[in-house]
Amino acid sequence: MMRFATLLKHPADWMTGHGEETSVVLTSRVRLARNLSKSPFPGWSRKKDREGVYLSLREKLESVPGMKDGFSHELCDLDPLQKQVLVERHLISREQAARSEGSGSVVNRKQTLSLMINEEDHLRIQAIRPSLQLKDAFKLAHAVDQRLEKVVDFAIDPTLGYLTACPTNLGTGMRASSMLHLPGLVLSDQIGPVLKGINKLGLAVRGLYGEGTESLGNLFQISNQSTLGESEGEILDRLTKVISDVALYELQARKKLMTEDSIMVRDRIGRAAGNLSYAHIITSKEALNHLSMLRLGADLTLLPADLVESCDRLFMETQPAHLQWRAGRKLEPEARDMIRAQMIREQLQSSLPPAIDLSGKES
Amino acid sequence: MKCDSCQEKATVFYTQVTEGKLRKFVLCEACAQKKGITNVDDLLMGGDMLGNSPPQTKIQDLVAELNQEDCNACGFTLDDFRKVGRLGCPECYHVFSREIAERLPSMHKGGVHKGYLPEGVAMKQALKSELACLADKLESAIGDERFEDAAMIRDQICKIEKKKGVVEP
Repeated sequence: MMRFATLLKHPADWMTGHGEETSVVLTSRVRLARNLSKSPFPGWSRKKDREGVYLSLREKLESVPGMKDGFSHELCDLDPLQKQVLVERHLISREQAARSEGSGSVVNRKQTLSLMINEEDHLRIQAIRPSLQLKDAFKLAHAVDQRLEKVVDFAIDPTLGYLTACPTNLGTGMRASSMLHLPGLVLSDQIGPVLKGINKLGLAVRGLYGEGTESLGNLFQISNQSTLGESEGEILDRLTKVISDVALYELQARKKLMTEDSIMVRDRIGRAAGNLSYAHIITSKEALNHLSMLRLGADLTLLPADLVESCDRLFMETQPAHLQWRAGRKLEPEARDMIRAQMIREQLQSSLPPAIDLSGKES
Repeated sequence: MKCDSCQEKATVFYTQVTEGKLRKFVLCEACAQKKGITNVDDLLMGGDMLGNSPPQTKIQDLVAELNQEDCNACGFTLDDFRKVGRLGCPECYHVFSREIAERLPSMHKGGVHKGYLPEGVAMKQALKSELACLADKLESAIGDERFEDAAMIRDQICKIEKKKGVVEP
């Protein structure tokens, strides 16, 4: 069984190194909600019931191919910091992080599959792929679902489909979403109408960490709302079409900005690079926003291409819980801001060598 | 408090305790009118509300309509569902089917599942709808006194019932 530390040592398969295809759409996630037919949903069940469900499901999940040498823990075995790290990696939800006994997380080594036991539903099967690959992500999750249905009696109604704790997930039980980086639409003030348009199509737009979170670093998640009345294929096709349209608008916006207002774009990127290269105290929010500009600079070939990967890595690793895990202790926000700045400076040094040395070290 | 039927402000409150179980509903004036409760004093006095139908029956119907039974499997109540928007267990979908059906159109593109179903479930469903269709045909054949057709349809039904037995353990 994989230890938490081992999981964290490796960036997830979908996090880094996918070049041009991830210039707008960073990742695609699909999750399927499933429940056992004979047990109350986790939010309405007794601790004893939940523990029973957890034990019986865990054994079956660990026997899914690729899961055996993965990560598997009951949430009560993890401290708050470890849970928060898993949330930042999108491997468990914020809702699940608040749970402990009888709730569990099973993740494969590559971190492409994450199985959540007793979150809002008894089981959530989540698959993550880089770039716009919702169908691939679905295939991955579906394969696990099909394997499990042979040994688990899922709650299904022929008319209503898969029965879920909340009727908003009824039917396919499928929520598919992509993470998009949209600095071009934000800088050109077109983001408002685009988001409104997406909403009108019955799709949801959220910030970096899902429902109710603010958009930081020009990152947006687009997902389906409706789960009943359409097949998985129809939902995925519609979503993929909308997301590729948005990605196209983003690329057009970037192009237009570079022909009409290139000095403003260069200024924003330059200032971001300056701040990140020399700051000694930086909040998570400020870091995300500057890293977004730096990534844009690399995408526009104004900065070295390898910065894209550095930015993606830093997006994740400068998050509060990742930072504290790395430091090996709980840190006050002020201390985090110093360590964050230092981490970013070090990471960027190879791509953006500082013209002035302010490190305070004797040369 | 909001009307159980339309979410307007409620002005008619009804509470009943039978066999130790609390049943209640609240309605706005318009819905109370629509449902035939025009004179609240009548209810209190146990008077005759709609000519010959005793008001108690009317009230029982209303209680049943607005305040469905609790879920036998898990003890979840309709009030719980209205409060949290989630359900207690898979069986709740049957118990609170009417309330849920009312809410589905605002959440989803349709009311019927069109996605993946495991092979066994899909097969069972197909057989079930085939059986329902044949039963209709059988009935009309008997009605029209086409007894040869009816016999053939009955044989088909038997065959499918057998097949269903194989699928359904």
